[in-house]
Amino acid sequence: MQEGKPLSSKQINRELLLTILNSPKWFFTTISLLGMIVLFAMGAAGIMINQGFGVTGLNRPVMWGFFITNFVFWIGISHAGVMLSAILRLSKAEWRRPATRAAEILTVFSLMTAMTMPLIHTGRPWRTVYWIYTLPFVPYDYARGIWPNIRTPLVWDPSAVYTYLTSSILFVLVALIPDFAVLRDRTTGISHRIYGMLAMGWQGNPRQWKLQVIAGVLLSALILPVFVSVHSIVSWDFGMAVSVKSWHSTIFAPYFVVGAVHSGVSAVAFVLILLRYVYGWQNYIRHEHIDALARLLVVVATGWFYFLVMEIVFGFYGREADEIAVRNFQFMVTPWNIWMMIFVGVTYFLPVGIWLSRSARRNLWIMSLACISVNIGMWLERFLIIVPGLARKQLLTFDWYTYRPSPIEWIIVGGTFAMVTMLMLIVARVAPLIPLYDIKEGEILRTEIKIGRVTVPAVYRED
Amino acid sequence: MAATEAKGHGQHAGMWIYPDAATLSQDISEKSKATSSAFKTALVVTGILFVLAVIGFIARAADDGFDEIGPWGYYNAVFSMIFMVTSGAPLAACAFRFTKSHWRRPLSRVAELFSIVGILNLIMFIPMMIFLPSLDNPAGVVEGQMELRRTIWFEGPIGAPLAWDLLGVAFLVITAIAILWTSAMADMAEARNTATGFKGWLYRRLSGGWYGTKRQWNVQKAGLALLGAFYFMTVVFMHFVFSSDYAQSLIPGWKDSIFPVIYTVTSFQVSLGAILVALFILRRWGGYEGYIGKSTFWSASKVLLGITLLWIYHMFAFFITFWYGRLEIEQNIIQYLISDTYSIVFILNALFSFVLPFAVLVWNPVRRTDWGPALAGLLVVIGGLLFNIRIFVASANAAPGEKLYAFFMEHVPAPVYPDIWDVFMVVGGLGAAVFIYLLSTRILPVLSLWEVKEGTLYQKWGKLFRGEYQILGKPE
Repeated sequence: MQEGKPLSSKQINRELLLTILNSPKWFFTTISLLGMIVLFAMGAAGIMINQGFGVTGLNRPVMWGFFITNFVFWIGISHAGVMLSAILRLSKAEWRRPATRAAEILTVFSLMTAMTMPLIHTGRPWRTVYWIYTLPFVPYDYARGIWPNIRTPLVWDPSAVYTYLTSSILFVLVALIPDFAVLRDRTTGISHRIYGMLAMGWQGNPRQWKLQVIAGVLLSALILPVFVSVHSIVSWDFGMAVSVKSWHSTIFAPYFVVGAVHSGVSAVAFVLILLRYVYGWQNYIRHEHIDALARLLVVVATGWFYFLVMEIVFGFYGREADEIAVRNFQFMVTPWNIWMMIFVGVTYFLPVGIWLSRSARRNLWIMSLACISVNIGMWLERFLIIVPGLARKQLLTFDWYTYRPSPIEWIIVGGTFAMVTMLMLIVARVAPLIPLYDIKEGEILRTEIKIGRVTVPAVYRED
Repeated sequence: MAATEAKGHGQHAGMWIYPDAATLSQDISEKSKATSSAFKTALVVTGILFVLAVIGFIARAADDGFDEIGPWGYYNAVFSMIFMVTSGAPLAACAFRFTKSHWRRPLSRVAELFSIVGILNLIMFIPMMIFLPSLDNPAGVVEGQMELRRTIWFEGPIGAPLAWDLLGVAFLVITAIAILWTSAMADMAEARNTATGFKGWLYRRLSGGWYGTKRQWNVQKAGLALLGAFYFMTVVFMHFVFSSDYAQSLIPGWKDSIFPVIYTVTSFQVSLGAILVALFILRRWGGYEGYIGKSTFWSASKVLLGITLLWIYHMFAFFITFWYGRLEIEQNIIQYLISDTYSIVFILNALFSFVLPFAVLVWNPVRRTDWGPALAGLLVVIGGLLFNIRIFVASANAAPGEKLYAFFMEHVPAPVYPDIWDVFMVVGGLGAAVFIYLLSTRILPVLSLWEVKEGTLYQKWGKLFRGEYQILGKPE
């Protein structure tokens, strides 16, 4: 039997556009609250810029801490969009339909948020212009032969992330065109005009649908290399640094990419559960969808765990004193060893243990717990890569140090979570977070076949 | 002859196969019994190659003995090549069954039959245990050398590495055969009623009282899932162990956490390539055109394209990290394996493992044919062989004698070219693997009958609006 009732086009339009055409009562209160947290975090960043890095816990040799950890974390979350949308679209997984839009939008906002982190981390954000521009009006010091170093990750990172951001925005917008047309036809006044512009003359004729499908498939295929390159390049921020022994590892690129998919897909699963609860979308985000995401996550998590084991084993393999010092710090020195245990437990053993049970996969509370657990773990993972490596960077022990984040850093990091949530909610107010046309297509292709005495869910397939 | 219909329209014309479930068993059974002259010729040719491999092995042993690993580099390479295919192929059957891919059905048994060739790996591994250098430096504590070479076994627990390596290879072969047996049980039960002589006796023994009750089907399903999960973990672990013990650990200073992953990805690529080649031969010349549809090639080719991209991605991640680091120790490794000593083999390896298969697979119209994916499969198999030659010949000859215990390679060694016995062992070893595979097709049907029959129940041809499409049942 099929899960969920068959849905008519009218019902899909009515239920999924409810959040756009009518605001729930809690909407403005929540947005205001989140906005205040974001303002508070901006204030903290302002204090830091005014007072200098002394207000943070960063000090030699640990000059990368919460900000860079948070940067890598949000870049990781951004991998959910392409993983779910592009890969599942290309592989024609039917259960992708309700998850794609939320994943794509989460990608865009997490990327934007991620990019604020290195800017804040510089302490003098306006100087970041030196990283990229050499235009005449920028006061670049040519006279002394100073040029941007294109061989530095500080150039690679913005190039990769902005390419990904641009293509992700394009990806979202192309997929939104038919839904904007639906909104155009249901709104009046200024909203009607804006949606009309965004719908770009969409009438839903066969030629437009054909172009839209081709554009979706092409963008899916083209965005995949960008998706892989972004986190690979972020990983090479660390991997290319020969001076930090535990970072100079060939496995970092795929290890980071798989980790990013792990945290990103978990985040999307959690967002979907929240959307189902908040907007009452039980007909659209069904247990089977969360179940399918969880099964995908078992594979992704196990792949990630394999990379983690390889990374650790080969950390010890070289038997080099400076790398052993880092590993000793990670595994033997309290509280770092406790954090390591918590990290592995909450990132792999707890969630995968949950996902192996079918009933747990279909229990939304337990699934939420597993998904949050993964993301706590993945945040810790980045922290435990960055700080211990730097703390034991020097060969001489009198240069060893540790790191304790200051309240300013906690507030700024907390603000990024509020910012992404706020932006997601604002978008939910202007664009459907579940693609209308995709759900409608799914409904048309959905059918059943009878095998003996059993009725089995089935789909029409073109290829 | 079974009534089979190929359906699909437009660019997907003839993509799906709709065999008649009622006549399928009899038809496949007849095909399995029939021995064509082409099959006999293939058997004779590969049998001769098998003999050449044995001659090459004996000659190499007589010439060089088993004291040094250097002369056995090509032997290691051909072992690894066969190991990659035999360990990866059963996993393809398990993985596509796990993901409930409908197109996998004709592919499953073709993949699982490679597990019988795994026995050859087990036999070939025995001499490899003898010539693997000791973990401990025979010279003891010497300045400029390590007391114990770099190894994943660290301080060398009891029996490491040989006992654990052998145990791992044996375990892998046994688990793969268990998967084949569990999967083939239903087919053997069907065949035991008609087969006579040795085959009848064998099927009665191996079908294990199978009558196709609901409980038996559930046990089979659970058994295949558990064995598959277990096999997956064992394969990945053994790839890590083997690639470390017989490659990375033999080149002083090579510390590369991505190499076991590259080895595993290459194994998946090569095994899927070999499966596609076997499927193409069966479809084109084996009389199975009515059962192996183009949809199998079309879907498997997408997976092969993905793995091919993963291969180059992992290779690049390895290269860029070492190259950018500019450490002498790592530059020597790059010069040895990529840019200097084995540069030609590397270029050919990259050409066959990435450039050419990518150029073939990137085209949709080519992927929709049966020959396109099979051609890409053949290319990656050749690429896999070159990869194994590059890595294992280089590893075996990187640091002879006590140099193996140095902290890093001080000089980049010269390449080692194959002599006649190496050629015998490589070509003959591959021939031996094909010989055993061909023999195995005489015992078990090359198609998983129960899976193909199950597939006929799940697929229908139906009308939607003005067009006709495939309707595919998706249980659970």
